[in-house]
Amino acid sequence: MNALPARIGALLLLALALSLATEGFATATNLLNVLRQASLLFLVASGLTLVIIGGGLDLSVAANLTLSACTAALAFKATGSVAAAVATALGCGLAVGLLNGLLVAVVRVPAFLATYGTLWIASGAAYWLMAGRVVYGFPPALRGLGTGFVLGVPTPVWIMLAVAVAGGAFLFLSAAGREVFFTGANEEAARLSGIPVRRRRILVYGLSGLMCGVAALVYLGRVNAAEAGLGDPLLLPAVAAVLIGGTSLFGGAGGLAGTLVGALILTTVTNGLNLLDVGAAWHPFVTGTIILAALGADALLARRGA
Amino acid sequence: MRRVTAALVLATMLAAPPTARAADETIAAFSKNQVDPHFEGLRIGVDQAAAALGATVRHYVPTRPNNIAEATSQLEDVVAAHPAAALFMAVDARAQLPGVQRLIASGVPVVNYNDRAGDAPFVSYVGQDDFALGKAIALHLFDHLGGRGGVVILEGVRGSTTGDDRRRGFEAAARERPGIRILASQPANFQRLPALQAMENIMQRYPRIDGVIAAADAMALGAVEALAAAGRANVPVVSINGVPEAVEAVRDGRILAIAEFNGFRIGCVAANLAIRHLRGENVPREVLLPGAIITRANMAEWLVPFAQRRCPPPIPAT
Amino acid sequence: MPMAERALPAPFRRAPGAAVALVVLVAIFAASSGGRFLSVGNLVSLSSQVALLLLVALPMTFVVLTEGLDLSVGALMGLAGVVAATAMLGGWGVPGALLAALGTGLVLGAVNGALIAWGGMPAFVVTLGTMGLAEGLALAVTDGEPVSGFGDAPRLAWQAMIGPVPLPVAVAAALYALLHLLLYRTPFGAHVVAVGGNREALRLAGIRGRAVHAAVYVLSASCAALAAFLLVGRTNAAHPTVALGVEFDAIVAVVLGGTSFERGQGWLFGTVLGAAAIGVLRNGLNVLAVDPSLQVVAVGLLAILALVAGNRRGGRART
Repeated sequence: MNALPARIGALLLLALALSLATEGFATATNLLNVLRQASLLFLVASGLTLVIIGGGLDLSVAANLTLSACTAALAFKATGSVAAAVATALGCGLAVGLLNGLLVAVVRVPAFLATYGTLWIASGAAYWLMAGRVVYGFPPALRGLGTGFVLGVPTPVWIMLAVAVAGGAFLFLSAAGREVFFTGANEEAARLSGIPVRRRRILVYGLSGLMCGVAALVYLGRVNAAEAGLGDPLLLPAVAAVLIGGTSLFGGAGGLAGTLVGALILTTVTNGLNLLDVGAAWHPFVTGTIILAALGADALLARRGA
Repeated sequence: MRRVTAALVLATMLAAPPTARAADETIAAFSKNQVDPHFEGLRIGVDQAAAALGATVRHYVPTRPNNIAEATSQLEDVVAAHPAAALFMAVDARAQLPGVQRLIASGVPVVNYNDRAGDAPFVSYVGQDDFALGKAIALHLFDHLGGRGGVVILEGVRGSTTGDDRRRGFEAAARERPGIRILASQPANFQRLPALQAMENIMQRYPRIDGVIAAADAMALGAVEALAAAGRANVPVVSINGVPEAVEAVRDGRILAIAEFNGFRIGCVAANLAIRHLRGENVPREVLLPGAIITRANMAEWLVPFAQRRCPPPIPAT
Repeated sequence: MPMAERALPAPFRRAPGAAVALVVLVAIFAASSGGRFLSVGNLVSLSSQVALLLLVALPMTFVVLTEGLDLSVGALMGLAGVVAATAMLGGWGVPGALLAALGTGLVLGAVNGALIAWGGMPAFVVTLGTMGLAEGLALAVTDGEPVSGFGDAPRLAWQAMIGPVPLPVAVAAALYALLHLLLYRTPFGAHVVAVGGNREALRLAGIRGRAVHAAVYVLSASCAALAAFLLVGRTNAAHPTVALGVEFDAIVAVVLGGTSFERGQGWLFGTVLGAAAIGVLRNGLNVLAVDPSLQVVAVGLLAILALVAGNRRGGRART
């Protein structure tokens, strides 16, 4: 089992330190602000978590977010219909995800390279479609997904919680979810015990792509504009959120609660650095330190448990 | 959009056949990324001016936005492609100086445009004064605030010529207005989402912010979204560039003013000078284009999409 | 060329996608560029670009052979370059600067190696962490500003020719020879192959196996530091983030060249072909002035098509 309580503890310690060190941190509005900022990162990282649990990797998530947001924006401008934008974002995300799934599970290209290839193809398609333009200005129905509030809590935070709960139910309560764990832990054994390994693998890549489509809608709602390259800053933080959350790159272990905590830790740190007015130059250094610290903590816990 | 431009340009060419055309006038035009509309405007300006004189343009843009290593390789590759002339801007001036010196040494005349690329024997420089733009727009905001208040700065990429010169301009303006306090100054890498999130975080610390200065439109638009979502849409935001999306925000009162950094016009003038140099004309060593302050009163001119704009009349020969 | 390596049965039967891609690409570009692609000037700059990539990709082959990967090399190149430039400004001279850069590489490589080999932590995560450390340090030390004004020596080194061969190419060739001997003719090389071939055997191999496992990361980081010095010469400045992303090109070159992420199968010369294919593609697209947005798509298509054509073996990235 992953060391989830330790990670929650680390997040709480971080929050405590920041509320002592800064004035603005421990306010209701700032905590909601952190949650809202974490939601985009979590959505991109959530599908990636499933892929990694299943023993794969998806480097195309940020590029997929970009392409889904750009196609959805173009679809809205062409039709004026929010429903068309939603359908395009989800459809585009799913299509890129299924392409990954087919390349990895059927053509059997190593996941690292297959998804690195689709990263470039999706980025290139976005560059070509947008040709240096920005598509902007969306109606309240779409903006609400990013900027709205329900019962005083930002809409994207509700979406994040819904995905975390639904994803957790899929992983831990459904037969297909358990089979994803088995596939990731030991592919050969999973196949021998009759698990449809290929279909499970395509399923997780498809879900990862679909989550990029959901994230694209939240992005459009929040930022109100789409341009090529918009997702690029999210790739490494998304991978880091999954890993800090304790999902193992060896497959077969992990969960969405961990990724949620990972995304919150990363977002809280950036928020804290901004509140303390620390230069952005230090952000990668701090992120790197946190990743290594999470690893070290796991190693210590594992040793003590053994 | 590019296809529309091509059609327009073709029409212009047919209407006014160019004179004194040399054999192979292919111009290599460098720009920093395929993301920022400023550079799309610049490329359209280059295409339009070149087509008006009957020259061909090839664009070189790194596949990863503002990637120094890739831009350096492209520079080396252009030495091999050996165009008749080149229009050059550096992703990083110091890092690309040896490359552009070699391009010039290989016999290709190079016009430096958009921002200064260091000390090399360029035919001429076409651009605007980033320091002056930064200072002018900051003073515009400070005077709007009556010379008093706390402001937030959203910087570009630390270490980039454009970003650093603009930041120095903001700071110089602040020194001239002692009632102004800079609350926070954070880089947001010329990008929208980082600017939006940095602004959200800074707002948590400062319950009162009197104004925001962004080093480029995309960051200003990100800040505007953050302020609006927090119910602080009345905080005035100023910016530099003037791409149509941001000018619409000026029209709608969401951005107070923009210092014009006109990529389209820079592209027009640079391409025109390079081709006339090839045809033996003496062209000016340096063209510093003026930048207007775009406000609600005068913004109509900048609402026109790049593809429908017309290049200004050519700068006279020297 | 290493056609009959003992550890590697019939490499051409695996038909690395890189070899196919390279031949096709060269033919296309040569035919359609009107002689520009094959001009001496272009071959010099193309081969120097490939050489720089090889300085990272050749040792990366060792890393991939141990079923690992090293994401930190690009960030490290930025940091080592800044260290070298600062050392030169501080009057250490070129040898001192080179040593300082190598020292930076050794330290970071040792951290990677220790955490991975002795800590038993996944290489992907460890090197993602050290990537952040190196990038952050380089940015923080320089405040994002490039370091320059250290004289002409690095630039002259990058542009130097040894007979008809550019110095970076000579350096890459020497490194290839050295690593070839190391991989195929020494017990160290046999250990590297064994590490990847059988994790269980590695675990039981004790100190020696772990030392070998750690050493590949030290090798990777040291070579990256050497490449950083040449890169400083190429750009006549040390930019803290100049090489971010190089690690992906290097890994793609390795795998295009037929080295597998699992089972300890690899081919060092295949990496040369893989790096050449990437270099030829990027250079050729520029020389032909292909539309920039289509260039982005072309890179992705090459990666996938070459793999589908040449490397149809099973596998997932088990890193």
